[in-house]
Amino acid sequence: MKRVIILMFLLLPGFAAQAADGAGTRIADQFARPALKALVDAAERNSIVVDALCVEPGAERLEAARKTFGTLVTDFGRASVLRFGPSAAESRIERLFFWPDPRGIALRQVQGVLAKADDTAARQETLAEKSAALQGIPALEFVLFGSGSEQLASSDGAFRCAYAAAISRNIGLIAAETLNGWSADTAFARSFTAPSADAEIYRSPREVDGEIVKAMSTALQFLGAAELRPPLGETPEKANGRRAPLWRSDLTFALARARVGGVQALLDASGYAETVPSDQAYAIDSLRFELNTASTQLGEIGLPAEAAFADEAARGHLAVALLALDHARDIVSEDLSAALGLTMGFNALDGD
Amino acid sequence: MEIDRRRLMALFGGLLVAPANVLAAPDSEPLFLAARTEAGRHAIAVFDSRGSELFSIPVDARGHSFAIDARNRMAVAFDRAPGTHAVLFDVDNRKDPLPLVAAPGRHFFGHGIFSSDGKLLLASENDYDEGRGVLGVYDVAAGCRRIGEFASGGVGPHDVVLMPDGRTLCVANGGILTHPDYDGIKLNLDEMTPSLTYVDLHSGELVEEVRLAPELHRLSIRHLVVDAYGVVWFGCQYEGEAADRPPLVGRHRRGEEPVLFAGPAETLRALDNYVGSVAVDLSGEIVATSSPLGGLITYWDAATGRNLGQTSLADGCGIAPLQDGGILATSGRGTIAAVDIARSRLRSVAEQPAVGWDNHLRRIG
Repeated sequence: MKRVIILMFLLLPGFAAQAADGAGTRIADQFARPALKALVDAAERNSIVVDALCVEPGAERLEAARKTFGTLVTDFGRASVLRFGPSAAESRIERLFFWPDPRGIALRQVQGVLAKADDTAARQETLAEKSAALQGIPALEFVLFGSGSEQLASSDGAFRCAYAAAISRNIGLIAAETLNGWSADTAFARSFTAPSADAEIYRSPREVDGEIVKAMSTALQFLGAAELRPPLGETPEKANGRRAPLWRSDLTFALARARVGGVQALLDASGYAETVPSDQAYAIDSLRFELNTASTQLGEIGLPAEAAFADEAARGHLAVALLALDHARDIVSEDLSAALGLTMGFNALDGD
Repeated sequence: MEIDRRRLMALFGGLLVAPANVLAAPDSEPLFLAARTEAGRHAIAVFDSRGSELFSIPVDARGHSFAIDARNRMAVAFDRAPGTHAVLFDVDNRKDPLPLVAAPGRHFFGHGIFSSDGKLLLASENDYDEGRGVLGVYDVAAGCRRIGEFASGGVGPHDVVLMPDGRTLCVANGGILTHPDYDGIKLNLDEMTPSLTYVDLHSGELVEEVRLAPELHRLSIRHLVVDAYGVVWFGCQYEGEAADRPPLVGRHRRGEEPVLFAGPAETLRALDNYVGSVAVDLSGEIVATSSPLGGLITYWDAATGRNLGQTSLADGCGIAPLQDGGILATSGRGTIAAVDIARSRLRSVAEQPAVGWDNHLRRIG
């Protein structure tokens, strides 16, 4: 028996080392768990401050609640690149951030809750059963920053504040569930960090790499196509900053930069810079360059989102940022995929 | 847009009820239609069972599937979603192709059918601002003028087939909401509700609606074929968690509940939650389903739903009847291959590595 075990170790070390040090393990340890923990903490801080506002309404406490919302948004933005596994389960990503919303469903539903003072929306347990549009960050943004939010500084806003508190608590719980889904003892985490041919979900390191590449590509597509292009329009006359996410809180570009930062952090944690063949490492450098460009340009806009999309100078920054995001996505789906030995089939795009 | 019912009824004056494929001349050489991309250029190709091209039509965007009028040997090639262009052409290349453009506020989903007499064309379309699926109705004799639309009975209608009665359409409402301003991003995954709907071609009336079990609400029903028994088979793609692995192939008899077939667990796993095309062999007794993600074509006994095996074809998706017990298949890597299903033998008849064949291969004749 002992001999068999020794023999197995002789046969397995290469694979075992690969599993332990693979991209999945690095991402779980260095990016996913810390990023989701930061989101859980930010939601908790926001929840405490909103609760305090509800107990004793006032301008200062409202300001504090809005400020903690900003941190919540950027921590969400970073973690949002993880649109798979625990984030995809139970519609968590949609419940955290119901977007895009071209028909303005969230606004209508949130206004309906506020108009009717629907008590079931003001308790986390019952809110969690409602439409995703009522549960997450865009809903909380309207409650804290949208028309009528000044009521929160006085007792007139008691219901509104209770709804804000329920949303905030709900965000914290969804984030905590997502983080728990990355615990080392879950089937997902075991598979993502040590893929094995005889276990779901991932049967090889290549399948894990495929998931990571898809996550980067999807995050870049989402930011460009769902968040920045619709408000930009083809011409300044067609621009409409109110089609951007979080324009009321002027956190549109902070969210966008956080999303880019999430892709950068995922790339760093993956260790691909060290593991891809050296003659293909240029793909990593090029990708970093494009992500940096996008982030820098978004940081230079310097106008509130509501006005920025129609402003000529800001549109210039946005155009460069969008071009960089498109390039980054091309690099991910072509050069990085090739460097990792992944081939994207001509017919592999679902939806057809 | 309301359809002009009097005009529609007039067009139905000469409606025949025989299915379109029965009307083809029995001894004519079958032709195959597929959309291809090569070095960034897109075309619609017509070729024979040996993969020899007879002619092609350049188009501006990547094509997808076809509506086929076997009686008059005409076809319409549609752009992939969210395309706004299509082209009506003579499969024997005797007339100039006629370009078609989607109505304002609509885009094509890439599939369509002709009525049995070839007088009407119906296309699955997206009324994207309202977030509802429609079937655009076109008067072929009037240069494919759009004369109205029917509700598809769901969101994101994709494939549509004509039932053997010649007057009922079956529509696969994939349930996925998209809007062309949002680059194909799926807007309603948490509340998607795919369905199969049967729509009366004369009236546009929804005559039957079929849904899957609530826990399968993310199983998007997308592609359809009618088997030898006049029963609809459907292929799905799954939008839920990767680890779920629900069955991707199903059958529906009118008036009954749909039945899903998983096949062997290893095969199901290899399909990677995606079936991209469904077809039957020439007898209609064997149903073929392809997964380009898995590089697999799987076969099912139409009578029993029993899994009959599989054939590997990397990035293979296009499938069409070739003979009894045989299909012709195409791949995104330029392969055209004949498959003997019983022997699980695939014989390449053409290799053009620079060509990507789109998801669908259709037969006429």
